[in-house]
Amino acid sequence: MSTETTDVDMANSWPVQYLQDHTVHIAVVLLFVAYPFVYDILVDLFALTAEMVLPEPRTMLTILALGLFAMSFDFISGYTGYLSFGHGAFFGIGAYFVVLGYNGQIPLLPAELPFMMLMLMGALAAALFALVVGLLAFRLSGVYFAMITLGIAEIMYVVSQHWDYLTVDDSDPATGTAAGSPSDVELFEPVIGIPFIDPLNATVHPAFGETTFLGINFGDPVIVTYFAIGSIVLICYFLMQRIIHSPFGRVMIAIRENEQRAKAIGYNVFYYKIGAFMISAFFGAIGGALLIVINGTASPDTTLFFLVTGFALVATIIGGLGTLAGPLFGYIFLEGVEEFLARKASGGGLQPWLQEILPGSVLNASVSGVTVDEGMNAFMTGHGEFYTGIIFVVFVLFVPIGMLGTLRARLGADSVADWATTRIEKFRTESESEAGVEPPASETDPEPESDSD
Amino acid sequence: MLRTNGLTKRFGGITATDHVDFELGEELTSLIGPNGAGKTTFFNLLTGQLTPSEGTVEFQQDGEWVDITEAKPQETAQLGIHRSFQITNIFPTSTVLENVRVAAQAHGSNSLKFWRNVNTFEGHYEEAQQILERVGLGGQSQLTAENLSHGEKRQLEVALALAGDPDVLLLDEPNAGVSTEGVDDIKALIEDVATDHAVLLVEHNMDIVMDVSERVVVLNQGAVIADDSPENVRGDPDVQEAYLGGYEAGDLDRAAADGGRV
Repeated sequence: MSTETTDVDMANSWPVQYLQDHTVHIAVVLLFVAYPFVYDILVDLFALTAEMVLPEPRTMLTILALGLFAMSFDFISGYTGYLSFGHGAFFGIGAYFVVLGYNGQIPLLPAELPFMMLMLMGALAAALFALVVGLLAFRLSGVYFAMITLGIAEIMYVVSQHWDYLTVDDSDPATGTAAGSPSDVELFEPVIGIPFIDPLNATVHPAFGETTFLGINFGDPVIVTYFAIGSIVLICYFLMQRIIHSPFGRVMIAIRENEQRAKAIGYNVFYYKIGAFMISAFFGAIGGALLIVINGTASPDTTLFFLVTGFALVATIIGGLGTLAGPLFGYIFLEGVEEFLARKASGGGLQPWLQEILPGSVLNASVSGVTVDEGMNAFMTGHGEFYTGIIFVVFVLFVPIGMLGTLRARLGADSVADWATTRIEKFRTESESEAGVEPPASETDPEPESDSD
Repeated sequence: MLRTNGLTKRFGGITATDHVDFELGEELTSLIGPNGAGKTTFFNLLTGQLTPSEGTVEFQQDGEWVDITEAKPQETAQLGIHRSFQITNIFPTSTVLENVRVAAQAHGSNSLKFWRNVNTFEGHYEEAQQILERVGLGGQSQLTAENLSHGEKRQLEVALALAGDPDVLLLDEPNAGVSTEGVDDIKALIEDVATDHAVLLVEHNMDIVMDVSERVVVLNQGAVIADDSPENVRGDPDVQEAYLGGYEAGDLDRAAADGGRV
């Protein structure tokens, strides 16, 4: 009798419970960890076919940085219902802070500070800026909030194109500023990791970064960069998710659902909205800082431009507004489409694949004076954004709650993780009660389905 | 508990509330009046949705009268003056339980704890479940609020106001649009919540008003024209002139059916 009790205690102890609650998270994280290796294996096996369908690991770096930005956009827009159309401002602050801080252009800050420090300071600066913007913009509701934030971001965009302070040596501010560009500053080699613990730090860059991490040589700086950036994105995701699931987050949802009633039951919604906006700006700026790790340069068009926010919005709608993780999957989808329709140089796509498998007679067959190959060039290849636009319209019309939102609705749960937990719980109690009876196989694998989003 | 002094609200040339001197005590008080008499405006002035043009609103807290004329809705709610709405005003895509839980959470400082999981605050869940059972929604707690029937939404509306144990409860037509079978439930609910809260009720259904009230205040064109026991108000010629039009118990259901926006 007593041994049985210990067994049950073991089975219900908190680590087991924790693993059970987070099965889906663990599975998704493992999938992300495995991705670069799986990509290599599949490309070895299927060559162009795999390259056509899967985004390159290098593209995944940008996806992670922009995906974090889109998640921060969803944090404020999806959970409080206030669309932050000028969210690129915070992305830009995060990016420019790292570059200018490293170059020693920010007053009171010495040059060449560690990347992690600049990233956090930039995120705090963005949060403070969000406080100022929020004090102005949250006096107004809905559409006007979107317009004010958009206006402020546009002002910053225009200023960033013409303000010489942002650049070094009389170069044109509109072309951007590279970290480490002043002659007296060393090359920008960002180190990501836990400060003061050497094995947990790595110099990170897709081209010249370290190839070794945790004592394992991966032979490719892209993979180390991918893991380093991925860890930061993962931590940020869990922090945001914790806030969403906190009492504070529930007030954010109440504001989205019915702001008037939230006031009437005693919430000073103004402060909650500003708090949420600052948190969102904080994480948005971290996304911007990660972009600098990847390409080293902050430019108006890649950070402050309104289309940066526009793409975050599209990714959020496709992934699912108010799902937090959805925007990242939305970005994978968007970038996937773009790469699918790209030429070989950027990761392989549909046209190179067709060129390989179709015989020359088909490719050169003429349809009203244009060969099939030329037609593909004209109407398809390199026009990813055009088709993305069409997909976006289709999503708004037919899948307004996005991929992850639809998956959750299908499963009838608040989150895929909740659903898996209930299923595993059910499976465990069933198998306990019918001890010795082989459980049906279909019950045992809820994870792969949920990964597919 | 709650009193007003010369409370006046003007919208341009219209005086919606006209020098109202009113004090709410422990007895269940009803506020009636024809459509457009200013009942909901009066509620909005009491709870801070509107700011008065003239006059004051005061709230009694620990024996002291506190001026709350300029208080915002969230401030009056924090003081313990809760209201329900004439037009259902809930959190539609949250569960019924979450609706009441988030209302219970509004009192105290837990709402700012953004680093803790919401499930660790079991007190809010327990309070919400108790309130739901009290209003008769105990079995529906896991439903999404927008999927409730109209009558259940009216019950949830009251449940939201009950969360946080207010001192004063202002109920704005809890019976609005409820089918005749549901009337007894709502009536029982009003009488139940009146046992431990000071209640001011706006209601068009005269059967409910005359049955449950201990005191009836009649508004007409923003001014108080009668303030007495239900029997005396029923006999008051001014009231009959202004509103009841020869009322006899039972035949004014149509007043409720009008829906009566104020």
